[in-house]
Amino acid sequence: METGLIALGAAIAVALPAVFSALGQGRAAAAAMDATWRQPEAAGDIRTTLLIAMAFMEALTIFGLLIGFLLVGKF
Amino acid sequence: MWYSLLLASVEEGAKAGESAGQAGAHHGSGPLFHLFGLEVTSEITTMWAIMAVIIVLAFLSTRNLKRVPSGLQNAMEMVLDGLHGIYSATLGEKKAWKYLPFLGSMFLFIIIANYSGLIPGAGMLPGFTPPTSNLSVTVGLAVIVFLMTHYSGMRQNGVGGYLKHFIEPVPFLLPINVLEEFVKPLSLSLRLYGNIYGEEMVLATMLVLIPMFLPISIMGLGLIFGFIQAFIFTLLTSLYISTATSGGH
Repeated sequence: METGLIALGAAIAVALPAVFSALGQGRAAAAAMDATWRQPEAAGDIRTTLLIAMAFMEALTIFGLLIGFLLVGKF
Repeated sequence: MWYSLLLASVEEGAKAGESAGQAGAHHGSGPLFHLFGLEVTSEITTMWAIMAVIIVLAFLSTRNLKRVPSGLQNAMEMVLDGLHGIYSATLGEKKAWKYLPFLGSMFLFIIIANYSGLIPGAGMLPGFTPPTSNLSVTVGLAVIVFLMTHYSGMRQNGVGGYLKHFIEPVPFLLPINVLEEFVKPLSLSLRLYGNIYGEEMVLATMLVLIPMFLPISIMGLGLIFGFIQAFIFTLLTSLYISTATSGGH
């Protein structure tokens, strides 16, 4: 029973941050593409800002993955 | 005869994949030898190799400096100009030149360290593991970033003036500001470590499934993500240095 709960916890810890951060990053990418067609000469700055924003969201997903690793190591 | 070598490497990969699946978050490989009483692990020997590569590259490209560069000097100047262009978006032109040695060396080290995981034999041969796949290395890099931001802030604004900016907007935000100063290097280190260690884990697992061909797709992703992680680490460092030295709200 307990190893089953640990496995379930690890699965949710990896899956849930991934789903929500994918939604958030999709919105950021859509906003960046909107900004790029409105002002194509600012494309370099927009790309840099987009990458910074994506890194912050991606980091939360990676934290979830690390918790998954820690939980799986408890078997 | 090479087929038997292939089978041997597949078995090694299978064993590594099994132990990787069970080990979870173990940390680091065992020490290889001891030097002056300190353990030397295989991440450290790989870091020595990366340092040797960077030093040899720097020496070869600055041997006869020419006004109109050609060859290796030209390539290195293109790389450094590109990096300066990226960091001047956050720091401004002059400060980007000033901090380029620090940021550029971190970028080169991190990108070569990330790509060293794709060289055949990484993680399996004794003495060769990508250094950024170990939490100790990335936390060390984050500590350097932490010290550098506070040092450059204090050098620019003076110790008192720099410490005053923690109570800048509203004084009762002081604990949140102090906490944020510790969370920033933590998230930098965990992001880099999680990406590279996760890639190593996936590679080890895929070697168990289909030995020669399945890891190629993950290695392609590894090329992209290795560059992006090095880029993000140094870009965020330049952002933190820029907010620390902005001076005078």
